[in-house]
Amino acid sequence: MSSEPVFVLPGDHIDPSLIPSHPKKPVRLGPGLRHVPPSDLLPTLAGQLVTDRQKNAIRVETSNGRYIPRVGELVIGTINKSASEVYFVSLSDYTAPALLPQLSFESATKKTRPILAPGALVYARVTLANKHMDAELECVSASTGKADGLGPLVGGMLFTVSVGMARLLMMPKKAQQGKVVVLDELADAGLQFETATGRNGRLWVDSDSTKTIIVVGRAIQETDQKSLGADEQRKLVKKLIKELS
Amino acid sequence: MASPTAELSHLPKTDGSANFAYGGYTITAAVNGPVEAQRRDENPFEALVDVNVRPAAGVGGTGERQLEAILQPALRHLIPVRNFPRCVIQVTLQVMETPENAYVNPKVMQPRLNLGIIPALLHAAILGLLTAAVPMKTVASATCLVITDADGSSVKVDPTPAEIDQARSVHVLGFTAGRDLLLAESEGSFSADEWATVLQTAEKVCCRSQEAGGDAEMGGYGAESENVQQFMRSVLEAKAAEGLHWR
Repeated sequence: MSSEPVFVLPGDHIDPSLIPSHPKKPVRLGPGLRHVPPSDLLPTLAGQLVTDRQKNAIRVETSNGRYIPRVGELVIGTINKSASEVYFVSLSDYTAPALLPQLSFESATKKTRPILAPGALVYARVTLANKHMDAELECVSASTGKADGLGPLVGGMLFTVSVGMARLLMMPKKAQQGKVVVLDELADAGLQFETATGRNGRLWVDSDSTKTIIVVGRAIQETDQKSLGADEQRKLVKKLIKELS
Repeated sequence: MASPTAELSHLPKTDGSANFAYGGYTITAAVNGPVEAQRRDENPFEALVDVNVRPAAGVGGTGERQLEAILQPALRHLIPVRNFPRCVIQVTLQVMETPENAYVNPKVMQPRLNLGIIPALLHAAILGLLTAAVPMKTVASATCLVITDADGSSVKVDPTPAEIDQARSVHVLGFTAGRDLLLAESEGSFSADEWATVLQTAEKVCCRSQEAGGDAEMGGYGAESENVQQFMRSVLEAKAAEGLHWR
């Protein structure tokens, strides 16, 4: 999108030419920016400043750190415990749990609601993220009443990856844009598996064979930790497939 | 003096980590946060900044607690703590290496405040916080200075431990990128005029990055000391480029 990446440190001055100025739409501030009244705009993170002129938005892009919930993001949560009306869901370690109302599942009523044991996984959307309140989640679209792929994740196994890797995996064209070819390569090698990625750095993998689950999860984790390029990912997949058979 | 070196995100289990080495000191910072605070130290309006200094050998004592007490308010001013109520931001600073002082036997040394280590601790903590993507208002850097001779005219930047021992007074000053004074600690005897000179010198050393080509006017003082803010920018820029290679 933007030609030259602009690196900013917290408190840096942002060049006015980088701030989008759409005649009608209001400016939208993404993560990593702070508005200091009356008219100052300061970065709060060290990263690359990205300007989206179509959406009239500006944000600072980083690839590491702890997940902080934001409205609209898709996450994978672990059920901690169940209260009378809500489930307490953990999105990342050592943070306050998010709340998932028991009725915000597809076609859930007081009588028919999914019973989730502690430790169960859910794929959910963040509906409320406010610094003074616990985050809230939903597993159903509030407008249509459809699940749209959200809901309990049955079986499979959860792997932890970095927040930046989770973002790459959630890209629609991850092979072209994100240079993450490891999943495509594993599938081409004949493995059959299902994955779901949450923005909170969680990757869920399911397959009929336990070996496949572990191979896929490990491959992603290794790609993340060693930040492997496309060719190295292919080499890694070849090695793993050889070990598997 | 050798230029500073740093390694970022080298600890896999923490949210952010940094290894900073300069002037004989090597510090590893591990940052976790914002995480949920324990009930007893929970503040409903702001985040708690928990600084933990661990010495290179043995367990921490009063000297380390005093360093923590100096660093904690400085870091609290850099983080927008009101954006994270009921949270803790944990900064653990492990001293890996300290410069050797041939004149002092460390085994018989009394526990005392070591001002010379504060700049390294602060820089490591800031690098750790930035790699952990903890929001910050601004960045800062600090420097250590000593007044050596009796007339107070000679101010030395980045002294060695031996110079600190023989100095008349030792000062540590920290400045944010916006040239605001963040941290000021002094030890020894000095006059108000001398302190003013120290303040001026420290500001020049810490905030050199803003004045392009400011090195020429630096004159004598601390021309050999590295500009740490510029250094932090370059290492973080390299790290960001590596993490966002797909852009």
